[in-house]
Amino acid sequence: MTVRAGLRGAPLISALTDLLGKDKVLGTREDLLIYEYDGAVDTATPDAVVLPNDTSDVAKLSRFCHQNDVPIVPRGAGTGLSGGAIPVEGGVVVSFARMSRILEIDVPNMRAVVQPGLVNLHLSTAASPHGLYFVPDPSSQKACTIGGNVAENSGGPHTLAYGVTTNHVTGLEIVLSDGTVVRLGGKAVEYEGYDLIGAFVGSEGTLGIVTEITVRLTPLPEDKRTILAAFTTIDGASETVSAIIGAGIVPSAIELMDQLATEAVEAAVGAGYPLDAGGILLMEVDGLRDGLDDAATRIEEICRANGATTLRRAATTLERDRLWAGRKGAFAAMGRLAPAYYVQDGVIPRTRLPEVLRTVREVAQRHGVRIANVFHAGDGNLHPLILFANESELEGVKQAGLEILEACVAAGGSITGEHGVGMEKNCFMPLQFSADDLATMGRVKTAFDPHGLSNPGKIFPTPGRCREFQLAARR
Amino acid sequence: MNATTTERIRPADAAACARAVAEAASASRSIRIRGSGTKDYVGEVLPTDAVLDTTALSGVVAHVPADLTVTVAAGTRLADLRTALARAGQFLPLDPPHADAATIGGVIAANSTGFWRSRYGGVRDLLIGTTAVLGDGTIARSGGRVVKNVAGYDLNKLFVGSLGTLGVLVECTFKVLPVPPVSAGAHAQFARSADAFAAADAIARTSARPAALAISGGPGGAWELLLQADGDAAPVERTLDLLSQSARAQGTAAQRHDGVSGVLATLNEISGRADGMVVRAALPLAAQPAFATTAARLEGFTQLVADAAGGIVRVVVRGEDAITLNAADALLAAARAVGGSARIERRPDSLRGRLGAWGDAEPAGLFLMRRLKQAFDPHGILEPGRSAAG
Repeated sequence: MTVRAGLRGAPLISALTDLLGKDKVLGTREDLLIYEYDGAVDTATPDAVVLPNDTSDVAKLSRFCHQNDVPIVPRGAGTGLSGGAIPVEGGVVVSFARMSRILEIDVPNMRAVVQPGLVNLHLSTAASPHGLYFVPDPSSQKACTIGGNVAENSGGPHTLAYGVTTNHVTGLEIVLSDGTVVRLGGKAVEYEGYDLIGAFVGSEGTLGIVTEITVRLTPLPEDKRTILAAFTTIDGASETVSAIIGAGIVPSAIELMDQLATEAVEAAVGAGYPLDAGGILLMEVDGLRDGLDDAATRIEEICRANGATTLRRAATTLERDRLWAGRKGAFAAMGRLAPAYYVQDGVIPRTRLPEVLRTVREVAQRHGVRIANVFHAGDGNLHPLILFANESELEGVKQAGLEILEACVAAGGSITGEHGVGMEKNCFMPLQFSADDLATMGRVKTAFDPHGLSNPGKIFPTPGRCREFQLAARR
Repeated sequence: MNATTTERIRPADAAACARAVAEAASASRSIRIRGSGTKDYVGEVLPTDAVLDTTALSGVVAHVPADLTVTVAAGTRLADLRTALARAGQFLPLDPPHADAATIGGVIAANSTGFWRSRYGGVRDLLIGTTAVLGDGTIARSGGRVVKNVAGYDLNKLFVGSLGTLGVLVECTFKVLPVPPVSAGAHAQFARSADAFAAADAIARTSARPAALAISGGPGGAWELLLQADGDAAPVERTLDLLSQSARAQGTAAQRHDGVSGVLATLNEISGRADGMVVRAALPLAAQPAFATTAARLEGFTQLVADAAGGIVRVVVRGEDAITLNAADALLAAARAVGGSARIERRPDSLRGRLGAWGDAEPAGLFLMRRLKQAFDPHGILEPGRSAAG
């Protein structure tokens, strides 16, 4: 961990209180404890938590932190799965709980302007009376915030056909670590000069803080067809994914679940998934209602030809919601199987699914752990959930996760598809990128944040924390 | 530019490209990056010491059809890539101008798009991996060959529209799609531009997602709305019906048009034609009708072509220099007044030096763009001054 000389502890809290007022600063031991974890496994306690009301609070805070060498770590709902909101080098956590409003739903231009603390699902709910919705739908969408989605470039099941967060952001207001406020883009699809929005989305809070977001709203599909297909083996299910894509069909979603995941989901949610299947596919086609039945039938035929043992098409909205409730509740359902889990997020070319899933099984056997698989098969985005019971197992669990990521990279893939690098995988970045690639990203970092105060210790390998990994890799 | 003293560099791979750029950097020799040379009119083209010809960086590097991705050397012609993908029943859903000759690297660097953007996404949405040579000769990769990837910063986006000022693209990976089973077209004529935009808007608000919703019009004549629908037969038919309905709602009738893709390709080429000025504006969707009205009232107004579902409007103006300058000011101001952006995409040669490509307004965040330019091209040798960012 980098030791910084800047202002910390009680003097920091008292200075922030003077700067912003008592009601915007949290500093007691009990208050700070709540902010030491997020959805991942690492923890660190902030020196202070600030709850800004508006952009000018964020700018004032950033200027202060810049002057006093204090790191700033933005935090939405804390659902992140790579430790993005963890103040690993201490400093101030900025919570957007009070900046959570929809500023505008612009129906004629099909845009919404929102504050970063807005819950993802609330936007689609508010836009739906106008026949519009916000496409990215992470499983945590009932809790996660749009600011967090921008930071992580979040995906979700339906991004297969319609794109991830970066494809739906057209404007940003950002505050740099020195307090400079910059408004980028707007309601048109492109602006002159470099695509700074494109560089910023997915930068995990390391380039600055988002204080306002303009997103594209999309017309709601007129109708949908949701299909569940069960296969004897997980290989059967994953080979079917390639067969569907190979046949020229790109559904709006193709999700895969293995038997262990199904078991947990059924116990928790009762989604009606068959318990005897080795692998289940949940697929959806949507758009104009014309031709949807034909498309669904073609998918079912391919499933049957690839050995599907059960095929079910949701006949009502209720049935569809029930099928999706199983998928969206899958991570939470893991509590039925084990006290804790560690979720991985590797990506592979989708044709390599069967082979890499076999490697995942071998890794599980080698480490004597159980691994459930629930993932975006259409994108090749794996989510192995490594189950464990207590802290003492965590090192072995993390090692299993690393071996899975190595297999993903060896198959031509990526160490993260939607959860981000954060402090979870920053040591693993050299698996995927050369020193020159990382140094080039470092040039972008320095252009936005020359003093390195924006969410330090994330994305880039840090000499302290990553030394052990580098030694292990060299062996 | 003095052609006789301009050095020509034609690297055949990333390493050779990196060496050439590093050598130029150490000698402070400026470089123009050129593929097929179809977009020499875009941006502020200033003389350089050398021209880096990318056309030897050619060929499909990897294509696994069921992965729906393709990796291609940046100097490959789009037309050749299309041919290779078509053999596997796939296509890269980009319909830029100059599609017959343009190279992939040029399409990316100029952020060159046509009418398909709102259905299939623009260059920024389809490009998932790049290898580029920075201005100091560093070879930098970003993204990868998988469709979902959030490992590290998305540098791909920075190269889109950078006009070569941040690096030389060497290799690129795109998402591709299966060729749709059916592609059909229809069109309708409207007396007023506002009616054509209203009809287009009615369709853009459905989940039909037509491949193209284009509007074209000139002084005095009718305004034409052209629709291209891609997909399975049933939704394509329904999408054509939607045009009939929305045309009827504006008091006119739509007809099937089998040649729509050819018409769209021709409309796409308006920027390439040598005479007159072309202003390209990106507008909030609902701002298009008023912008069209403003354009149509200008002296010298010749043609307007809009991607009505995406809000990209191009206006052709012809006339004396004073008329052109006046129209340029009016159109740039009209776009910026509604929160859009605009640039002079093409100028008559007589106005080079008098009419800047970007007008007077600074892009938002220019200081950050300049820092990025300095970081990626520390010696300032790559296409100096060509883009709005430097």
